[in-house]
Amino acid sequence: MRKKQTISDILIEWKQDPVMRERIVHWHTIDKKAATLADFPADLHMSIQQALKERGINQLYSHQRQAYDMARTGHSFTAITPTASGKSLCYHLPVLQSIVEDSSSRALYLFPTKALAQDQKSDLNLLIEQMNQDILSYTYDGDTSPAIRTKVRKAGHIVLTNPDMLHSGILPHHTKWVSLFENLKYIVVDELHTYKGVFGSHVAHVLRRLKRICHYYGSNPVFICTSATIANPKELAESLTNESHQLIDQNGAPSGKKNFIFYNPPIVHPTFGVRRSAILEVRDLSKRLYNESIQTIVFAKSRVRVEMLVTYLKELTKKKIHDESIRGYRGGYLPSERRLIEKGLRDGTIRTVVSTNALELGVDIGQLQACIMTGYPGNIASTWQQAGRAGRRQDEALIIYVAQSTALDQYVVNNPAFLLGQSPEEARIYPDNLIILMDHLKCASFELPFKTTEQYGEFEIQELLAYLEAEGILVRTSDKWHWMSDRFPAHEISLRSASQENVIIIDQTIPAETKVIGEMDRYSAMTLLHEEAIYLHQGIQFQVEKLDWEEKKAFVREVDVDYFTDANLAVELKVMSEDRKKTFENGSVFYGDVSILAMATIFKKIRFDTHDNIGSGPIRLPPEELHTSSSWLSFERPPGWTDAMLTDAMTGTATSIASFIPLFVQCDRRDIHVVPQVKSIHAELPTFFVYDSYPGGIGISERVFDVWPELLEYVQSHVTSCPCDQGCPACIGPQESTIGLKDEVVKLLAYLQIETKGESYVI
Amino acid sequence: MSFEKNLLQMKKLIKKKPATKQSVAPFVTPQKPSYSKAWEDEGLSIVENKFGVVFEKKIVYAPEHVHGDFKLKEIFEAFTLWNSFKGEHPISTDGKKIVFFDTETTGLKGTGTYIFLIGQLTWNEDHFEMTQHVLADPSHEAALLYECGLWKPGQTVITYNGKSFDWPQLQTRWTLNREHLPILADPIHIDLLHGSRRVWRNELDQFKLVHLEVEKLGFKRVGDIPGHLAPIIYMDAVKSGVPTTLLKVLHHNEWDILSLLTLFIHSTKLILQEQYNNSSVSSTNIGKWFSDLKDFDKGQSVFEQIIKEYSKTEAAQAFYFLGFEYKRRKQMILAYEAFEQSLINLSDVFQIQAYEELAKIAEHVKKDYLAAQVHVEKAVLLIRNTKHLKPLQKERKNWAFDKRLKRLVNKQTISRASARFDRK
Repeated sequence: MRKKQTISDILIEWKQDPVMRERIVHWHTIDKKAATLADFPADLHMSIQQALKERGINQLYSHQRQAYDMARTGHSFTAITPTASGKSLCYHLPVLQSIVEDSSSRALYLFPTKALAQDQKSDLNLLIEQMNQDILSYTYDGDTSPAIRTKVRKAGHIVLTNPDMLHSGILPHHTKWVSLFENLKYIVVDELHTYKGVFGSHVAHVLRRLKRICHYYGSNPVFICTSATIANPKELAESLTNESHQLIDQNGAPSGKKNFIFYNPPIVHPTFGVRRSAILEVRDLSKRLYNESIQTIVFAKSRVRVEMLVTYLKELTKKKIHDESIRGYRGGYLPSERRLIEKGLRDGTIRTVVSTNALELGVDIGQLQACIMTGYPGNIASTWQQAGRAGRRQDEALIIYVAQSTALDQYVVNNPAFLLGQSPEEARIYPDNLIILMDHLKCASFELPFKTTEQYGEFEIQELLAYLEAEGILVRTSDKWHWMSDRFPAHEISLRSASQENVIIIDQTIPAETKVIGEMDRYSAMTLLHEEAIYLHQGIQFQVEKLDWEEKKAFVREVDVDYFTDANLAVELKVMSEDRKKTFENGSVFYGDVSILAMATIFKKIRFDTHDNIGSGPIRLPPEELHTSSSWLSFERPPGWTDAMLTDAMTGTATSIASFIPLFVQCDRRDIHVVPQVKSIHAELPTFFVYDSYPGGIGISERVFDVWPELLEYVQSHVTSCPCDQGCPACIGPQESTIGLKDEVVKLLAYLQIETKGESYVI
Repeated sequence: MSFEKNLLQMKKLIKKKPATKQSVAPFVTPQKPSYSKAWEDEGLSIVENKFGVVFEKKIVYAPEHVHGDFKLKEIFEAFTLWNSFKGEHPISTDGKKIVFFDTETTGLKGTGTYIFLIGQLTWNEDHFEMTQHVLADPSHEAALLYECGLWKPGQTVITYNGKSFDWPQLQTRWTLNREHLPILADPIHIDLLHGSRRVWRNELDQFKLVHLEVEKLGFKRVGDIPGHLAPIIYMDAVKSGVPTTLLKVLHHNEWDILSLLTLFIHSTKLILQEQYNNSSVSSTNIGKWFSDLKDFDKGQSVFEQIIKEYSKTEAAQAFYFLGFEYKRRKQMILAYEAFEQSLINLSDVFQIQAYEELAKIAEHVKKDYLAAQVHVEKAVLLIRNTKHLKPLQKERKNWAFDKRLKRLVNKQTISRASARFDRK
């Protein structure tokens, strides 16, 4: 029998293989790093030391020790903790120590999802068991049975929950949690980097409300946050918690040598720039690693892709009975099933696991040898989280990033410096969003009456409270504003969206078992949930059968078709106010408020592979109004350009701009819209508007205001270097005919480059 | 103007500054609401205490006062019945320091929901006395809570749905005012909603108090406001200062509490009656309640009376429960007969259960495997056709019956074989 190859054997082979050498665009090595250790703190309780020793831990990593010292001296802090760096000890140690010292002490752990809280609970309980101490930790979420809720509220030392539950299940009932709020020593916010955008802005307010309640009961808890590597962890933590933070960014955990490979599938259709499907490439690469018995994690972006890959790979084991060495792992699996897979990964019985980004977050599966990413995970922070899954202490690790043919992917694979050379994105939140602020002001008023001298977090709110009084929600007595409404505001406010009225998506594939599978803001629903639209949910195709606009319900049924739908949105955009402006030689960028009147007009059915238009139909929906913030770039018309030329070139450019904004701000492609206007109503000049998709704005376009020159530079260099001839989905969007549009876009971008690079001054 | 249209103007209102610490202020007695005079003119009197003011209304009833089918003084007969009852029962009471208690609130749950009306009915030497306290405005909450006197120990409160609603609400309000108020008492609490559900299960399909009044207490309200409007009426009275409609809420609350008292009389008489001949359904429920409370003798005697009083069809359910009583006492043959009798008029889910019991006794006691098999087969047929079991429940039951069936077939084969052996 042939000897199995090691990772280094494979790497040597690939370096010599001409086919592989062509596909591997870039090869990067990260040297191994030794651990930086520190002794147990002198005051660390014997029972905790005992438990750690039982786990084979005789010393702490330096960052764990630093975390302990900061927490114990009452400093809120944020620790940057890459995958598998022992982050949970950063908060467990000070928390458990405080409870061992004083059994009335309490701690609250917040995880972005219910599942993560449940995962962490089993780990925490094991530690407590090893300590042999009487410490009670519970998860508190929608699944907690009413029978033990009272026990959790009164006696739980450590309560593990999520922001949604805190928002609607704990804070509005704080009187049932007196013993928690009176004695709260630590608030742990795990996976800090996931609190961004609309969700993060909501959570920022939930935490302000939490602090207000703590203050009412006389406690002043320390915040402990842990985060993946992002550009601005301290800033994010501070704006999320409204508290100053120390930063722990020196990680003491060791790591082995890592080989990071940038892999681009071969081009199969040169004119349209179509490459071989990333999925097939990933299948072949994983087979190779499986055959060499290299334990591998494969990341795919949707549940469907996970299942597809698992099916492909299981071909390898179909002749063996009861072979469990290849498994999928994604949301929707039962918790017990997930535990079994995690265990299989730790003890090595599972050799290949295919996962969605579910395994990106802090689930303990030990360390694997190789990691394959199907497509760019969307941001640098996630990429490093996923890559971090590979790399045992001593061994060499292999990370392969397989690019898809989208704009962002092609850019990333061809510009390794983007991933390797710069810090990850910023995660931004925008607690100032007036709608979000008002929502939580209502919740806070419900929880405790505001005094007529009180402020809320960093906000002065007396005038806003007067507004709520005029709305008939509050009543003012001599010194307080009292909630006077029979509504329960937390139930009307979802942390996961900004607009107040969402369209609920109901799956009626099985008539007897209709179920809600998601929700969408009204604005996006116009183009994505109109009747006959093909709606993709977790990779599954659904057709919208009925859209009840009055009731905000979309009824969908699962289908299997070879096309997608694309709707046209007629947008009328008005500038309401210009708040900031920067002027360049022949153009200006602005930031301000805009009002958008949008109406969906028609939709087209477009075939998957060929992008042929195979049918269309009208959309009959009333126009929607959206007030939001926007940043826009107006410029003098380039000499000699006709309206028609400019329209096409600007459309292509807008497509490209929209793809690249997520590079600068951690946000979803859906969070922003880019609209080109050849002659804007506002200034009668050609203008690109970038606006936030959420009412009131969410801070993205405000950030874009600052980065226009860099943004255009990225777009230009990418479109120019894209290997396609006429424009493709990877750059300016698919083009119907060969009219040389790509050249025009490049020309326009070059022109804009000059425009924005000139000496700028701020008004 | 829509909220979104206000956005631009509102944005100017956002101001920020670093958070400052609020110092805890000592209690300051709030000012009397501006509308006090108007509320007094409507017949509410104003009571002042150290925490502020509270509006009060007192109503006095003679013992002979009639509410629906009952005189209020019949409550003393109910107390006497309980005092001579030997045993434990959730609604039993010694009749001392009884408060019939009901609240009206501004919402359904959470700390933003205020109690704005507390009504209490007590016996005072020679008459019944209703005291209703109305929250003057939210800043006078401590005054209301103090004045209602529920911090005084040794009382028994009787409510309708108070265990899951009124009392937790009161605790919430108390917690929010705890630094000023004496500790809230932990009284004996009798919740008649629970009791009514036990007594009239399968007989009534809804358990709203208003519904019970009509069906069981002989009382029909005229000119009542719907309960769900109460919050809006109060909030409007506070915002506008005009209390006219608010008095309708007080009347609503008064009716609730009077009915609560007559409901207590009626339930007690049903539970502790000499002859269980009022209705077979509620009598069976009452017997079952005794059994569940582990008062098996009482339970059994109730079931036996029902069987005597009523036709076999009406008594089917009683036979069914009686079957379990006999089984508990290991009187298996009696149990078998009772289960057989029950089959005449049982819902399918109960029938499945009865067949299972019959099969067990046939197999293990009577050793009649063929009969047992017949029972199992009937049960399996019922499971297949019933609409009252969930798929998972069906699956579980089927699995259990299937196992039993296999064993029975097996036993029959063995016993036939051994019979042949004996003949040889």
